[in-house]
Amino acid sequence: MKPADRERLIAATTSAHRERDPDGRAKAHPAWHDLDEAGRLGAFDETLRLRTLEAATDPEGLSTTARAVLARIRGR
Amino acid sequence: MIELDTFLVAIAAGDPDAFGRWVAGAERPLRESLRGFATRVDTEAVLQEALLRTWQVAPRVESDGRPNALLRMATRIARNLALDEARRYRATPLEDAPEPAHDPTPEAPDPMLRRHVLECRDGLPKQPARVLGARLASGGAEPDETLAERLGMQKNTFLQNLSRARKLLAACLEKRGITLGGLR
Repeated sequence: MKPADRERLIAATTSAHRERDPDGRAKAHPAWHDLDEAGRLGAFDETLRLRTLEAATDPEGLSTTARAVLARIRGR
Repeated sequence: MIELDTFLVAIAAGDPDAFGRWVAGAERPLRESLRGFATRVDTEAVLQEALLRTWQVAPRVESDGRPNALLRMATRIARNLALDEARRYRATPLEDAPEPAHDPTPEAPDPMLRRHVLECRDGLPKQPARVLGARLASGGAEPDETLAERLGMQKNTFLQNLSRARKLLAACLEKRGITLGGLR
């Protein structure tokens, strides 16, 4: 896999948006399936960094993951 | 370490704001507990499902005298979900399933980190700043295709700007002696 392709897939995977299956469960991001093992580890670390940055700048300390989950709980 | 069970009574009573405050402290240790599954399942999807199920079971969780009972329950939920997902992908023989190294340990937020991140964010070039802002404002509600279209960008350009934003922020923070939890 070319580095630029891997970086693009990793960036896509760091989104907190996940489609849901018919049972309402969050599905794996399509880009995650296209990553090799090294890319998946990279996506994990990159997501961890991004969520730390997101939470640090949010007035309530919430990342986009937290916001996505709370929206589902509140039925939005 | 901080004690997140101070929110447990309010969470059990159905207060989503209290759950949000719990998630603010619990997300990072929960996510890190899934590191061993990172090559086998999409840990972001697993984590979101685990948080939802934690919210659902919270009224039945009782303190056992040790700290962070709800976080320990959430860690077990996340691990079991990850195992289920790995089985669906036929990726992980059960005997290889990684065990968390230790109990998850939530840390108090660092107020100085917030100030440094905001200052570094204010110094980003326009396009990376717009992309990062769009991701934050969306809160995971919309796919990148939608966000990119709203900004008048191709999706690939959007993703390139996102990577650039993260790298520039990391470089800015590093100049201030800050690494994100040891990650570069």
